[in-house]
Amino acid sequence: MAQEKSMAIPEFLSKAELLKQGAEARVYRAEFLGKPTIVKERFPKRYRHPVLDEKLTHRRTVQEVRSILRCRRAGISAPVVYFVDYTSHCIFLEEIVGSSTVRDHIASTRQSDCSNELAWLAERVGQILAKMHEEDVVHGDLTTSNMLLRHQEDGESELFLIDFGLSYISALPEDKGVDLYVLEKAFLSTHPNTETLFERLLKSYAAASKKSSAVIKKLDEVRLRGRKRSMVG
Amino acid sequence: MHVTHELELFPDHRVTQMLFKEVKNAAELRQCAVEGKIKGALINPTMLVNPFQVLVAANKAVNLQKIGKMKTRSLYSEIIFNLSPTNNISEAFKRFGSSDGDDSVLVVLVHDKDEPQLLSDITARVSGRQVPAEDVSSLTDHAKIKKLYKITPQEEKCGTLLDAVVCRMASKDIL
Ligand SMILES: Nc1ncnc2c1ncn2[C@@H]1O[C@H](COP(=O)(O)O)[C@@H](O)[C@H]1O
Repeated sequence: MAQEKSMAIPEFLSKAELLKQGAEARVYRAEFLGKPTIVKERFPKRYRHPVLDEKLTHRRTVQEVRSILRCRRAGISAPVVYFVDYTSHCIFLEEIVGSSTVRDHIASTRQSDCSNELAWLAERVGQILAKMHEEDVVHGDLTTSNMLLRHQEDGESELFLIDFGLSYISALPEDKGVDLYVLEKAFLSTHPNTETLFERLLKSYAAASKKSSAVIKKLDEVRLRGRKRSMVG
Repeated sequence: MHVTHELELFPDHRVTQMLFKEVKNAAELRQCAVEGKIKGALINPTMLVNPFQVLVAANKAVNLQKIGKMKTRSLYSEIIFNLSPTNNISEAFKRFGSSDGDDSVLVVLVHDKDEPQLLSDITARVSGRQVPAEDVSSLTDHAKIKKLYKITPQEEKCGTLLDAVVCRMASKDIL
């Protein structure tokens, strides 16, 4: 019998391992089609109008899938999309097995004081973000938790971008500048006293793309606005 | 020889894949499928990278069947349709479905528990040599697949051809 919503997926998720309960989504780990898989489930927000909520949730799911595909096409590592269900708003993604977040990596590396390694990482992040912005993907939620680092056998590490739930397509330097501003705020508050490291990231961002100077200029403007606002408020 | 996978989302559904080479009666087999004598999808294996690709298509087909949102008339045509990167149904059949002159075929069955009867029924109908389903990778037409799915050289640097193909299949409804 034709049903409107998937019953199978909620049933499946009830037995999966819950990794994270967020404000908009739950993240699970499970085996799917024989592979280790991350499932991201967006759930209804009760305080929003149901029709509006459904539309917004649908749009976020679509944007997330689109941005992942756009990034991968440009050679930026992001998890493979295995399956999407638009009735339960679930995305089934490749689990990046054996990875750690850049956040955890920075925290543990700073303790052992390997500044060379971190400089390499900051430059790599700068390059990848420049490439992403060249494709007009604005991530919308850049933090060091939304970057995964997988250490390869041969020593080289692979950097993945994840969590494109707030992403959108835009060519505007302003949008890209705000993207970097969000990262700067998150970076410096998560990792105190890393101003020089973040400078390094921005330098590498600037060097990697022809379009970057307009973005950095916007970043400076946004910073100034942010500062003015905090002086008033 | 065949591979059978349980669909984790639909625990009472299994997907079995059987691969045949040196097939002499592709036209007759296709006729059987049209008439419903073969309850399965007949796929052109040169368009497949790996059995996982079929699993992704089958899982999506079962899901759409359950929620009443299939784009084609049957579960088996839906599996073939899901393999294609575009939403053009006749093109999907032309490229991914078995054609009359083909000398190899991959048969996909969706069933509840292991049904040996179903399998021997298929082997009896195919005049050809059954080989391990995993050998599909040795028949893959890489150049054709890259062209059809529009896979960029940069993309292959950050993942396998299978990764790229699966991403296209999973996202084609929103392109
Ligand atoms: N594809 C993935 N592979 C491995 N871990 C992931 C993946 N996606 C998310 N995670 C983990 O789950 C956490 C929350 O995911 P998210 O809400 O998408 O940021 C991340 O910080 C990661 O630790």
